[in-house]
Amino acid sequence: MGEVILEMKEIDKSFPGVHALDHVSFDVKCGEVHALMGENGAGKSTLMKVLTGIYSKDSGSIIFDGKEIEFHSTREAQEAGIVIVHQELNMIGDLTVAQNIFIGREPKKGFRIDDKKMIEDSKALFDRLKIHIDPTEKMSELTVGKQQMCEIAKAISHNAKVIIFDEPSAALTEKEIEDLFAIIRDLRSQNLGIVYISHRMDEIKVITDRVSVMRDGTYVGTLITEDCTKEDIINMMVGRVIYEKPKEKSLVAKDAPVVLKVEHLNAGHMVQDISFELKKGEILGFSGLMGAGRTETARAIFGADPKQSGEIYINGKKVEINSPEDAVKNGIGYLSEDRRRYGVVVQKTIIENSTLACLEDYTNGAVINKGKEKEITEKFIKEMDTKTPSSDQLVMNLSGGNQQKVVITKWLVKNCDILIFDEPTRGIDVGAKSEIYKLMNALTAEGKSIIMISSEMNEILRMSDRIIVMCEGKKTGEIAIEEATQELIMDKATRDIVA
Amino acid sequence: MDKIKQNPIVKKLGFNRIVLVAVMLVMYFAFCALVPGFFGSAHILGALNYVYFLGFLSLGVTFVIATGGIDFSIGPVMFCCALISGYTLMKFGVPMILCLIFSVLIGFCFGLWNGYLVAYWTVPPFIVSMASMNIAKGLAAVYTKTQSVSWPRSTDPNGWFRNLVMLGKIPMGLIIFLVAAAICSFVLNNTKFGRYILCLGSNREAVRLSGVNTKKWEMFAYVMCGLLVGIAAIFFVGVYTTVQPGYGDQYNNEAIAGCVMGGTSMVGGLASIGGTVIGVLIISLLQEGILALKMTKDVQLIITGIIVIVAVYADVSARRRKN
Repeated sequence: MGEVILEMKEIDKSFPGVHALDHVSFDVKCGEVHALMGENGAGKSTLMKVLTGIYSKDSGSIIFDGKEIEFHSTREAQEAGIVIVHQELNMIGDLTVAQNIFIGREPKKGFRIDDKKMIEDSKALFDRLKIHIDPTEKMSELTVGKQQMCEIAKAISHNAKVIIFDEPSAALTEKEIEDLFAIIRDLRSQNLGIVYISHRMDEIKVITDRVSVMRDGTYVGTLITEDCTKEDIINMMVGRVIYEKPKEKSLVAKDAPVVLKVEHLNAGHMVQDISFELKKGEILGFSGLMGAGRTETARAIFGADPKQSGEIYINGKKVEINSPEDAVKNGIGYLSEDRRRYGVVVQKTIIENSTLACLEDYTNGAVINKGKEKEITEKFIKEMDTKTPSSDQLVMNLSGGNQQKVVITKWLVKNCDILIFDEPTRGIDVGAKSEIYKLMNALTAEGKSIIMISSEMNEILRMSDRIIVMCEGKKTGEIAIEEATQELIMDKATRDIVA
Repeated sequence: MDKIKQNPIVKKLGFNRIVLVAVMLVMYFAFCALVPGFFGSAHILGALNYVYFLGFLSLGVTFVIATGGIDFSIGPVMFCCALISGYTLMKFGVPMILCLIFSVLIGFCFGLWNGYLVAYWTVPPFIVSMASMNIAKGLAAVYTKTQSVSWPRSTDPNGWFRNLVMLGKIPMGLIIFLVAAAICSFVLNNTKFGRYILCLGSNREAVRLSGVNTKKWEMFAYVMCGLLVGIAAIFFVGVYTTVQPGYGDQYNNEAIAGCVMGGTSMVGGLASIGGTVIGVLIISLLQEGILALKMTKDVQLIITGIIVIVAVYADVSARRRKN
């Protein structure tokens, strides 16, 4: 590790109603990978947004390469050599790889864009990263992993001195993560400073040199990765030890009735001939790789997307579900993997979001009973420990984990018996995660049934009573929890791909 | 989490609305200073004459804009309502009350048509309302054989409807408008319909996935707008008596200006009836003042055009700062 290249001192930032950063300090050295960890809402993203000029800071100073700086846009930050590689990729699918990398600063030959030079420069960048991507290929043709590599290539083409990776591994396969790590190690050896934001504890141990932890907008401390354990980091993040083992046996009674039966469901090529049963009080895990068709299956059952054929039975009775409206009427609730787009109305209050699925129960005729609405919402805020100053706070001002609790509240207020949880803990910190697990167990104990789609093996093994594995739109396995192992699930999830 | 304090009075009324009222007062005194004799009831009543019909247009379009849609047909549809019902009255001598109901009914039909196309056929609202604007103009012209229509004067037996505008010295129109605004505000903030349209204006897909029939409620927003436009027509003829086919476009802009100036967001999800009322008052005062300054109606077109742009820009940049 070399000298300090970037130092943020006593950064303070407030939004209306929220003190997002409370005098936070953070530094990065040349040739190190520095992990930034913390629960959702701890302030990691806000800190990085202040650094790269998306937000302005209220007070504090940023010293980069020996000079005090303040950026007003990501472009200024890029030009100075601080680049962010986002979790969501910002690429234009219809342009080529080279065009994407050099967008906005294309090499010119007279008035024309110098395509040849652009392609050659791209190749040189990929060589430096020791990866093989054809710069003339269309971006949309590449896998998510390759697209991310292009994003990195674009970052280093700015002569970056500091690169920030914001949850880079969230959408990658195991192999792609290994490639990513090789690149990161390589960049480190080229003396760049790297900030690595992730929730995956095992990755932190593998790739980083130091770990800094934030909690509730404050800086907690920094550890040398080699000298600390997972538990140390988690303790700093939440202030308590959390560790639970995989579920050993199904908690569902043998003779529990079937509440939901799906037969021969077909919806596009991502959902082919899916059949399964869900029992009362069961957590049915849906495992598989990205793009296995799990979300599509859930959406087809819920009526969010049209289906071609298939039958759905609830409590033994055949039902017609052609829209979410039908599904909700039949007592099905769906928690989407993309909370902000499909889960909450961020501009509205917690109360308004909580009663959205069953407003008719909170109205006298057409008029909303605001008192009753507030009462039920506050009851759930308390029960679920949703962190908010008040029930009429806009959902926009809540952290991811708390927004998720609002979505769950919505379905509990509706009193749905069948809940589909699609990646319920994605992008949620360890503390809120274990709260959501506890909640799911409490719900099934009450007799509700849950379909849980998850890409996290730990989550599947820890929560499910039974596991269905999907691969490329087909059901490839159904495993009782007693027999389930990571290896077995992975085998089923990749069977078609390998064969 | 520290809560950042805000002055409770400012919070309750909204900073935006306080500024708007201040703008209105400044404007009024500016006109008083510029135009001799502007001060006094004559010009205020003049401005109010404009408020009566524009107010209803603005209230109507507020519901549509709250869903994230737009309606450019409101002005011509108002003319269409006034022309068709007025012509029916003139030619066939139907009772006045039926004629008024007929006007509202025509507005309702246009609302239903616009709303159905937007919600169920997913034709962009911009296109639907542009087309409806022309249909409204054409329909009115065909029905009246391109003649202008004069509504009965107050001395006529059928002139009683003018009491809705002015009952002796009482400005009934203003009272009716404010009552209507209060009802609209209640509908928007306290009913299922209002809740749904504001939420779907903000995030349609999340509302649909909550099991709400978003298409139905979106259509209702246009129907609500149509009804209010039908009422606006009654007040328009109550003030101006004569309607000519082929016009009405300019009121679109003025109604939308009043609405966005009051803090209703053009991208949907946020709407304020109180703001719309103040916005309408400002636009009406502006038009009265400009005429009093002996400038032409064209100057007003320029100014309202600029107001729309500034108001929308203010909304957009406020959002950008928030994110």
